[in-house]
Amino acid sequence: MIEAKELKKRFGRKQILNGVSFTANKGEITCLIGINGVGKTTILKGIMNLTPMDSGQILIDGEKMSKDMYEKITFIPDAITMIPTMTIAEAMQFMQDYYKSWNQARATELLRFFKLKQEEKISSLSKGNTAKVNLLLGLALDVDYLLMDEPFSGIDIFSREQIADVFTSHLVEDRGVVITTHEINDIEHLIDKVVLLDNGVVLKEFRTEEMREDEGKSVVDVMREVYRG
Amino acid sequence: MNVNLNKREPVYLQVIRHFKEQIATKRLEPGQEIPSRRELANQLKINPNTAQRAYKEMEEQGLIYTEGNSPSKITKDEKVLGAVREELIGQAIDSFIAAIRPIDVPLDEVVGLIQEKYKGDKA
Repeated sequence: MIEAKELKKRFGRKQILNGVSFTANKGEITCLIGINGVGKTTILKGIMNLTPMDSGQILIDGEKMSKDMYEKITFIPDAITMIPTMTIAEAMQFMQDYYKSWNQARATELLRFFKLKQEEKISSLSKGNTAKVNLLLGLALDVDYLLMDEPFSGIDIFSREQIADVFTSHLVEDRGVVITTHEINDIEHLIDKVVLLDNGVVLKEFRTEEMREDEGKSVVDVMREVYRG
Repeated sequence: MNVNLNKREPVYLQVIRHFKEQIATKRLEPGQEIPSRRELANQLKINPNTAQRAYKEMEEQGLIYTEGNSPSKITKDEKVLGAVREELIGQAIDSFIAAIRPIDVPLDEVVGLIQEKYKGDKA
């Protein structure tokens, strides 16, 4: 389980996070929702210790983040961080050199799944295919937790569907996934848990099936209440 | 398998209803193998945990059974199968009555209209 407790972060005058707490379980998909600029990415980077928090605590299976943890949890940023002149094969080699948890068999399977050619250069790929390579590089790591920043934004509908397919497959199963998004509509049925953020705090944290069962509300219904009510 | 899921009702219940419909109409036959939990999640684009929950519930209701490590199958229990059909018909009638009652149509007229339409639709 990932536990975020009372996270606070200020950038200059702006208090981005003002005491954010939530949990994300292994074997589940947790979705952080909020409008742009609400601090979703900062939270993910905070969990990875890429952006130091001003205060608060983050525990992963009860432990604090350390160097060894990067073999257990990974962060897939919203844009690919590989050098554009690299081919997909070279990018995979790069990951293999740096991570013990790299699983080439899974990477090969993902290549096939996304219909990507490993000899292609990253700079020559379409936006959708670049997003898929980005995802592949993270998903092919044998880690327990995956943090994905906006995996669905700015790509075409078929690529989105393909990426959504990954979430229902064994490629993700049993791992803990935290994704951020502001477009919830087509993934409502995929997620276990929702954390709604605004003004640096968690407005609501709920399980999607319980919400449908107990109150007959969709995720979008709850968002409407919380953000506009 | 294609199901239109709505977003306000628990997904696992919608999955169970879908299976009941398939069973009542004999599209899924007694003893027939059903997809694994993961296959179902992938086909319906739903969370694997939800597929798991639907199957667990169906197992408890006796709609499906699992022997050892083999895939789950549709029950052969005639009583359960009959009950599924009755339940679906009952639900459909209830929602029809709920919809027609506010319009205040005499029963004879309703029955007449149903007979007419029902035959017409089938032809």
